[in-house]
Amino acid sequence: MPKHIFRLIALIIGFVIVAVIAVPILTVDSFYRFGHYRANSVTEIASEAPVYQTSRYCLACHTPRVALWSANSHKTVACEVCHGAAEGHPAKGKLPIPKDTPKLCTLCHEAMPARPRTQPQIDPTKHNPSGQQCTACHNPHSPKIVISAAQVKGDVAAGKKRAEEACASCHGAQGISDNDIWPSLAGQKAAYLARILAAYKSGDQKDVVMTPLAQALSDADIQNLAAYYAGLNCGGARSTKLAGNAAAGKELAKNCAGCHGETGISANPAWPDIAGQKPGYLSNVLKSFRAGLRKDPMMAGVSRGLSDADIENLAAYYAGQSCKP
Amino acid sequence: MNDEKTKPSLDARRTFLSKLGLAATCTGAVVGLGAAGALKTAIAKSESSSSGGQAKPGAAADRKSFPTPDYDWNKHEWAFGVDATKCIGCLRCVEACKRENDVPANAHQFRTWVERYVYLADDKHVHIDSQHDPVNIEASGSEKTFRFANRYKDKKVDKAFFVPKLCNHCTHPSCVQVCPTGATYRTEDGVVLVDETYCIGCRYCVQACPYGARFFNEETGVADKCTWCYHRITKGLQPACVEVCPVGARIFGNTKDKQSPVSLFIRNSRVQVLKPESGNAPNVFYVGIDKEVN
Repeated sequence: MPKHIFRLIALIIGFVIVAVIAVPILTVDSFYRFGHYRANSVTEIASEAPVYQTSRYCLACHTPRVALWSANSHKTVACEVCHGAAEGHPAKGKLPIPKDTPKLCTLCHEAMPARPRTQPQIDPTKHNPSGQQCTACHNPHSPKIVISAAQVKGDVAAGKKRAEEACASCHGAQGISDNDIWPSLAGQKAAYLARILAAYKSGDQKDVVMTPLAQALSDADIQNLAAYYAGLNCGGARSTKLAGNAAAGKELAKNCAGCHGETGISANPAWPDIAGQKPGYLSNVLKSFRAGLRKDPMMAGVSRGLSDADIENLAAYYAGQSCKP
Repeated sequence: MNDEKTKPSLDARRTFLSKLGLAATCTGAVVGLGAAGALKTAIAKSESSSSGGQAKPGAAADRKSFPTPDYDWNKHEWAFGVDATKCIGCLRCVEACKRENDVPANAHQFRTWVERYVYLADDKHVHIDSQHDPVNIEASGSEKTFRFANRYKDKKVDKAFFVPKLCNHCTHPSCVQVCPTGATYRTEDGVVLVDETYCIGCRYCVQACPYGARFFNEETGVADKCTWCYHRITKGLQPACVEVCPVGARIFGNTKDKQSPVSLFIRNSRVQVLKPESGNAPNVFYVGIDKEVN
């Protein structure tokens, strides 16, 4: 063998020896365990701590909230979607309760092309023109507003007879109340009348005068009365003695329009019409909602922020509207 | 005359050099072998001390269950489903991913993102935007929060939909193929990961990915990508984006379990993958996208 070939081979062998020695030294033990990578890095990545803790984590302490949430339509929206990741909670402090709900809720519910039709969507400028908090009307844990508008099947003639015995002295012979404090009933939504009478009867709603009167009514009476008053003509003299400013009330009334309609004629049979209603009655009712004397989760929310002047203005606005759609 | 003078001196130089070479090789081999032994023991010591007192039981359990004592990657083969017909474009997945994985809080680096495809009545071209579009960033009011601006509300829209995107965790990943250091790899349970300590930040993988799923993380100085929240799925949790999706547009699970959500999704719906012609064999399966999406 020529000398230079021998040297070349010797050199290659030398390199191979050095490489064989160097590779295990320079690569960590776990490198070729499964392939051309460091097996320990898999364990390192798998051992990192999760930040989002899942809704099961919330269940342990917030049981009632979780129960309400999990029974309603937002159950697919995990707690941490709105309240943020629960890592470190409760040790590191409270999780936020969202403050800007119009911004948060419209992330999913703003009407938008590309959003599937099955998704409930609203146009914020129409649904909530004044930009009030969504939580004023909607419970975020049970957001659907469900008031059962049960079909009223009453006998108008029987209702008329019962009304003359029990109601006419205060609410007027034709369902138009004589004074400012008692509500007119003529033309009111039948489903609302039946619901509110049933609430007086069961004690869900309390009133010194109405409670004993309603307790004396049978279920059939309630249906008959509701049918009778709903069929009456709501016209009649409007109150002229208005304490509030109707123009200012009109601005505020945008907050109410979602349920009670722009002029106080509601779209849903379960919600009362308030157009042309007695102003004294309207302001009293709003004040008792605000004070929690009259119970309704939605009205409690929307009346909470109203001042006495706001209430008078609203009452003046609605009292001045025509009760006929 | 020249020959007589140079020949002996050349011979002498050759003999000298060959002896020197032989000596160097021998010393090299001896020193190398000695050093190999010493270094090996030293490295073994440092590795066992870094993994702590659990080294021995861990090593024993390793045989049965890797990568963690509670999780065996041989029993899993992960896959991801996206039902674009359900996506409402709320971008909760994008924010959750950023928070869960400590992705830089800016508007141009994402491990997962959502695209909006809009076909207008009077326009042949599809309009595509994502959450980092300036119009959408303006609507969200910050580079750290995301929302889709209602920019097409007054236009005549023929068709529009959202498509969530993320790393496809390909069966034949091009990013792994080009990595020069073995810093990125595909695990036995089908997840493509990045070893941050081995990545040299050359960005070959960012270039190689046909889906644009990788980016260079300027905070850590290494390549970054979706891990399907490997630290969560190995603990029995869902990836963060799946956990927060309010409409179930993201589906995740183990395909070795024939009743897992993702197995049912793949079996019960006509799914497709992005860019099948790439030969990468992606493992994110889509429903409800059209030919413009790739």
